[in-house]
Amino acid sequence: MPSPVQVEAGSELPTRPRIVYAEDVKAYAEAGGDANPLHQDEAVARAAGFPGIVAHGMFTMGHLAASIAEWAGGPERVRRLTSQFRAPVFMGEEIVAGGRVKSVDAERAVAVIECWVTVERDGRTEWPIKRGEAEVLLGE
Amino acid sequence: MNAAAVGKAYPEASFTVDPGRVAAFRGVFSQVGGVPVTFPTAAEFTVIPEIVADPEVAIDFSRVLHGSQEYEFRRPLREGEKLVIKSRIESIRSLGADSFLVLATELVEPGGEIVCTARSTLIERAAD
Repeated sequence: MPSPVQVEAGSELPTRPRIVYAEDVKAYAEAGGDANPLHQDEAVARAAGFPGIVAHGMFTMGHLAASIAEWAGGPERVRRLTSQFRAPVFMGEEIVAGGRVKSVDAERAVAVIECWVTVERDGRTEWPIKRGEAEVLLGE
Repeated sequence: MNAAAVGKAYPEASFTVDPGRVAAFRGVFSQVGGVPVTFPTAAEFTVIPEIVADPEVAIDFSRVLHGSQEYEFRRPLREGEKLVIKSRIESIRSLGADSFLVLATELVEPGGEIVCTARSTLIERAAD
C-alpha cells in the first residue's frame, strides 16, 4: 500500500494488461445491467459500422478502476474517478491500464492520478480511455 | 435529442448494494475485496433504459455512444446497504451535429446524505 512518503508527483503506476474476451464482456453486461446488443451481438455491431462486438466503455473503465484500486490498497481509497472514452475496444485485443501521479497533498494524504487505457491496433496506439483522473487516499 | 428536457428528474428508486452482484463485479475485474469503484453504474442502469425510451428526451439510441463517466464518493458503498437513487438530466448541449446529455445520479442514504454521485455523458452522433 503506498504511503505519502513513497508517492510523489511523476511516479508511474504499474501497468495492468488484459486481453478482452467476449465471455468476460458478457459477464460484465449481466453484472452491470447493460444489455445493449452492440456489446454481445456480432450482427448488431456490424450494422452499427464496427468490425465486430465492441466492449462496453464501462468494461474498460472497470479494468482501469481495478488497476488503480489495487495500487491504492483497495477500492474504498478511490474517492473520485473520471474517464473519457475515445476509442472502441474489440474482442481479442489487449487493453493496458496505466497512470501517473499528478500531485500529492501530504497534509490531506490525497494523491491525484492521471490515468488512461491504451490498445495497440494496426501499428498504432489507440486510447480507449484518455484524460482519466483519480483522487486516491494515501497512508494507513 | 430534445434540449428542453434539461433538468428533468426521474422518479426515485431504491437500490440495494447486493452482495451477489458486488461479487460478480469483483469477479469480472479480478478484485479481492470491497465494492468496485464503478459499481454505482449498476444503479445508473436502473434509470438509463427509462431515459433512452423517454419521448420527451427523444434520443436515437442507435446513434448513442458513452462519451465519459465519473464518480465522486463521500464514502465507499457498503455491501448490503439500501440506498435511494435520484437521477436527473443535468445538461444537454450540442457540438456541431452531435448532442451531449449528462445524466447525474445520486446514491443517497435513507437519511438524505449523498454517498456517491455518478455522471454519465451520452453522445448522440450526427445522423449519416
